[in-house]
Amino acid sequence: MKKKISFPQMGNYYIVAKYLFEHILDAEIMTPPKITSKTIEIGSKHSPDFVCTPFKYTLGTMIESLEKGANVLFQAGGGCRYGYYSELQEEILKELGYEFTYINFVSEGENDLKKIYHYLKQIDPHFKIRKGLYYLFIASKMVKYMDKIDDYIRLNIGFEIKKNSFQNLNQKMLKEFSKARGYFHLRRIYHQYKKKFRKIEIQKPKHPLKVGIIGELYTVMEPFSNYYLEIEMARYGIEIKRYTNVHYLLFEKGKKIKKYLKYAREYIHYKMGSDAADNIARTKYLCEQKYDGIIHIKSSFCTPEIGAMPIINKICKEYDMPIIFFSFDSSTSEVGIKTRCEAFYDMIEMRKKHERLLSRN
Amino acid sequence: MKDCYLGIDIGSISTKGVIIDDHQKIIKSLYIWTEGNPKEATKRLITKLKESLEANYVIKGVGTTGSARKLIGLMLDACVVKNEITAHAIGTLSRYPSVRTILEIGGQDSKMILLNRGIITDYSMNTLCAAGTGSFLSSQAKRLGIDIQDFGKLALQSNNPVKIAARCTVFAESDLIHKAQVGYQKKDIIAGLCKSIVLNYLNNVGKGKKIVGPIVFQGGVSKNEGVVKYFEEVLKQKIIVDPDSHLMGALGIAILAKNNKRKQAYHLDLQEVSFDTVGMECNQCPNNCEILKIYKNKKLIDAWGSRCGREFTK
Amino acid sequence: MDKIKIGIPRSMYYYYYKDLWINLLKQLGFEIIISPKTNKQIMNLGNQYAYDEMCLSLKNYIGHVAYLQGKCDYILVPRIDNFGSDNQTCTNFLATFDIIHNLFEENLLNYNIDYNHHETELKGFIHLLKPFGISKKEIVTTYLEVKEKIKVQQKNEVRTNLKKLNSLNIKILIVGHPYNVYDDYIGKPIIKILKQLQTEIIYSNLFNPKIAQEESKKISKTLYWKYSKEIIGCIPRIIGKIDGIIFLSTFPCGLDSLVNELAIRKLKLPTLNLVIDDMDSLTGFETRLESFVDVVRERKKQKNEEKN
Repeated sequence: MKKKISFPQMGNYYIVAKYLFEHILDAEIMTPPKITSKTIEIGSKHSPDFVCTPFKYTLGTMIESLEKGANVLFQAGGGCRYGYYSELQEEILKELGYEFTYINFVSEGENDLKKIYHYLKQIDPHFKIRKGLYYLFIASKMVKYMDKIDDYIRLNIGFEIKKNSFQNLNQKMLKEFSKARGYFHLRRIYHQYKKKFRKIEIQKPKHPLKVGIIGELYTVMEPFSNYYLEIEMARYGIEIKRYTNVHYLLFEKGKKIKKYLKYAREYIHYKMGSDAADNIARTKYLCEQKYDGIIHIKSSFCTPEIGAMPIINKICKEYDMPIIFFSFDSSTSEVGIKTRCEAFYDMIEMRKKHERLLSRN
Repeated sequence: MKDCYLGIDIGSISTKGVIIDDHQKIIKSLYIWTEGNPKEATKRLITKLKESLEANYVIKGVGTTGSARKLIGLMLDACVVKNEITAHAIGTLSRYPSVRTILEIGGQDSKMILLNRGIITDYSMNTLCAAGTGSFLSSQAKRLGIDIQDFGKLALQSNNPVKIAARCTVFAESDLIHKAQVGYQKKDIIAGLCKSIVLNYLNNVGKGKKIVGPIVFQGGVSKNEGVVKYFEEVLKQKIIVDPDSHLMGALGIAILAKNNKRKQAYHLDLQEVSFDTVGMECNQCPNNCEILKIYKNKKLIDAWGSRCGREFTK
Repeated sequence: MDKIKIGIPRSMYYYYYKDLWINLLKQLGFEIIISPKTNKQIMNLGNQYAYDEMCLSLKNYIGHVAYLQGKCDYILVPRIDNFGSDNQTCTNFLATFDIIHNLFEENLLNYNIDYNHHETELKGFIHLLKPFGISKKEIVTTYLEVKEKIKVQQKNEVRTNLKKLNSLNIKILIVGHPYNVYDDYIGKPIIKILKQLQTEIIYSNLFNPKIAQEESKKISKTLYWKYSKEIIGCIPRIIGKIDGIIFLSTFPCGLDSLVNELAIRKLKLPTLNLVIDDMDSLTGFETRLESFVDVVRERKKQKNEEKN
């Protein structure tokens, strides 16, 4: 039987994963079905009640993939509860009667490359390690480029003159990325598009409103799970800053965390699980940089972020920084979120106007 | 001729309308049920308000707020469309300029708005599913066989409120049923519910916030005397409940309409305008967005719900 | 000079380290103040200081810390990250120190256990106690002495727990973290009801931890939380000798939400999953426990009849 591989969704990163597997394995790689309200509905139905929402999203995607004919599922979770998802998910799916091979690349404790090699050999006996490493390198660069462009988009999308010009161009770029013939080709595409992005017309005031978005990593990175909050806020004419992305998690976090702990020394001494300590330090940074507001998002029952909340709240109070917390669950109402976003915007805009008046007098 | 301004607050349960004059005084107001049809509710509301309005007034501004604000805003060609949180703050400020804290518990949401010198400085909303909202109270009242109107009065008769677990609706409901089965008195259970709503609200929405007076309490639940009593007991402060507290959103948006008034008058002859909405699923990409198309006089004027930004009106 | 008073919150860490802490610190000349058994006042304090979304156990801990405010010179709040990467702890065990540090103004005593970064328990105590003018040698000898004593004591506890397996009554295994099971507000009321129903209660944490760690793999291969392994690890060995299992956890415990679900799916024995958020009303639990014990009893009867 021909192998058909699928994996969970998160933001646009499926493009990188698909690219990587397509080049190193002789198997059919499925584009995992896009997350819709149906996905989370199915996922919640088969998940334990009080588990965090990413479990439900990824399980939902897996069921949808299996329904579409996938017979190999990849999962790559590490850290916090993510690392333990796979064993229970496999059990749930098997009990539902699906037949498939389940492979978890990153599991706590046993993170060795030999095992991964062994898994890949299992799927494709012709798998070559050198080729694998080369494309892994390209994939890591692709992530870097995507995240860099994303940062630029977040800062400017709220000010575009022609609606959707940023999103349309991004889609085009991602399409070309997925067809890159090698590293140099990829780099060329990136530089081309970087120029194109800078040419997009924007109308940006000298001192725009600036908002930082922090929180639990999956909810921050998967726009469906945060109800497209980022773009929603940007559309009010706001510059958005967000730190968490795959590049950060894979290549920067290890180095940065020590700096973070030192920087926010008066508030934290240790890592607090997942990205909690990072977010505390970012809060202080956003306050010092005189941002206009902070939005903290997480899935319900996310323990590390819940632990960070009192500390983040304390920092914001000390700096008189407006902050709003969102806890997303499968049953969150979208209208309610939009209303809150709008009200938050009204508030920070009012504050800014008031501050300007005060400084003029 | 005198100018006046119309503010409409269209919530999921009720629709409220006020007309104010140039001095922000309410000259007409009305409160009706939405009955799941905001368009019809608005038509009824406006017809009645216009009938009662003296002939020497002309409407120079219209504002909409509440969950159906966008739809009705389009229908009426409103000059201001704003969320209910901001509208409530502005409405309340017009009556109590020195207010520092607004507590609000409505049908689905609860929130807290902090102000300083007339500027909103901070606000927060419930993050958990919150057993402490109006719709939970009314469903529990029904379960106990009590009219929601009498709920607060009954709570006031109790001296020993029963403690109810209320972090999550599932726990709260089962706890409530057990308490009733075991034989606690109805008034004590009701008082317990009222108290748990207050504690829950302060623990969730009010966590880490400094609550300073004057405090104004509004939203549907503010009509419940029991909840008011426990707020005063816990916060050890006087709580102001305005007799028009249910109209604050409409008042606020009317004030905003006044500040954005137009030169020409609104006629609002809704019977002559046809206004339709058509829902459809867009199958042009895997997002499968649910699109709502808005037609005014059979002409497509807007479409909402697209995630990718596809245009439908061209 | 008065002795230095060290406050210990009777929650979370306490249930793992009480013997070590009390013996060690007393022998080294400190006065120990332990917060009282959880009561309504402490629970209310917890609700007041803790954030609403925190799990009941952490709220409880924060309540105990709040109670100790102003009653001692220091409050002991360790940080326990891991005992190697396949022996990690719940996020709260590594975050609580910083949470407490930000919520309260009290002086805290803190040591860190992080085997991945070579921070061992003994090293932690040396760092902690040296500033009080106690020599390294004294700390090490006292520590080893106390550890030896505790080992013997634990062996006895395990023995008594094992003996209960021979009882002729209905035998129920309680699977839950000790800070929940033995807490006077969370687990004790449940135990009391079970005892009234004439059942023999076996505690999941009173088994040899090394064996439990190994055995837990039979239920979950990839489990990397130390405390979860040690409470489910007893199941494979004793499953033939018990009649039912109650999983006791607090709302919304992250580890238990996954581990218990997996265990329940795999076990072919009557199980009851109790998630506790508020214990002011016991009536709901009475009904559920009673019917559970009825099911277990009925099943045992049938089995015995089949045998004869």
